[in-house]
Amino acid sequence: MAKFEPIKGGYVNLTIDGIEYRVYYEEAGKGIPFLLQHTAGAEGIQYRCLLNDADVTKNFRCIAYDLPFHGKSLPPLEHDWWKERYLLTLDFLMKFQDAFIKAFELKRPAYMGSSMGGHLAADLAYHCPEKYCALIGLEGSLVTAPQHSRHSANDAYFEMYDNPFIGKEALGGSMDMIIAVQTPERRRKEITWCYNKSGPGVFAGDINYYNHDHDLTGKADRIDVGKCMLYLLTGSYDPATKPSDTKMLADQVKGSYFKEMENLGHFPVTENYDLFKTFLMPVLEDILKREKGKR
Amino acid sequence: MSGASKTSMERLEEKLCTRFEQAVPKRVNSDSHFVWRGRNLTADCLLQIGSVQYLIRFEQGAIKECRRGLPLMCSWDFAVRGSARAWEELWQDPPKAGWHDIGALIKRGEMTMEGKLHPLIANLQYFKDMMELPRKGGSK
Repeated sequence: MAKFEPIKGGYVNLTIDGIEYRVYYEEAGKGIPFLLQHTAGAEGIQYRCLLNDADVTKNFRCIAYDLPFHGKSLPPLEHDWWKERYLLTLDFLMKFQDAFIKAFELKRPAYMGSSMGGHLAADLAYHCPEKYCALIGLEGSLVTAPQHSRHSANDAYFEMYDNPFIGKEALGGSMDMIIAVQTPERRRKEITWCYNKSGPGVFAGDINYYNHDHDLTGKADRIDVGKCMLYLLTGSYDPATKPSDTKMLADQVKGSYFKEMENLGHFPVTENYDLFKTFLMPVLEDILKREKGKR
Repeated sequence: MSGASKTSMERLEEKLCTRFEQAVPKRVNSDSHFVWRGRNLTADCLLQIGSVQYLIRFEQGAIKECRRGLPLMCSWDFAVRGSARAWEELWQDPPKAGWHDIGALIKRGEMTMEGKLHPLIANLQYFKDMMELPRKGGSK
């Protein structure tokens, strides 16, 4: 008998800055809404193990979406997107969050994001904590560490990852650099394959937010975890965001939660979900405790 | 230089070079799928282990030449240079966090990539897998 998974997919049309985007999402579970943001150049499928985990979905309505230009979310039909360079911005990400929450009529959801999504957790904590009940940043930091390049960091990424002379497999190879060595080979290859199939120029364009827009230097100490708790988890084998990078952010956000995840890298949710879960569950239990009687 | 007068660094480099020479050309060329993955790579690479330089000539994914020391007036397309410690740590099984990949080593200043990087980046997974061949076992 065929095995069906308890995940339902759908499309929602969101208007952001006057442009309508058809956005794909997958969801499972019931309870506290839990938004799941993928990494740069990737898609919500990274959360497939979590969406299948009854220990999580029994208390959380988990929703993993594909940002426009990612996964099954096409570029906007009514906009000449090909006439401009694709660049993801903090402004767009925040408006996307607002539009998504409004469309689904979600009340103070929890949020978790990885890599650029981890950066976004901290940005949301700074800009609009009142909209969320909890923010979880995976592989997030105060600011992206400067790259050693003759170009600006953004131009270096475009040269390597949006270049007709370089195939998209280079992207997977680059991501392979930041996966923990303990990761099962089949999971490792799933991660790199998903990167290899991303849209042209999308990873490089996403890095605009990751490298440029995200910078909480001089601001992070104003994040108030009394308004919304900020949890920070970072893998020990992540050279892109080292645990010490995340700790620098955590040290500035008084009362935030920080944990280094041994034997995980830049993609903890997909590298080894069972291991990641051992770090995630105490966080989810804390969220449930804090939200008890509030809903 | 006699063996007795060698410094500990020279002994380490010799050990690393032996591991590299025993693993890399043979295991690449004897694996037809490995060669197929690099079918679009034809380039000359300078690979440096500590102070020891190698010239590796790739031709359609196969290693046609791997020689220690560069001939005079020898040009190359791209170079990957690492300290002896970088290679020693990279080939541990398992390697320590932060020493486990060429990307991590570049970030910590123990390794560099130089020259015309397009052929290297375009074949990054092939190249990374080749450089990690001396590590026995592990997930690779």
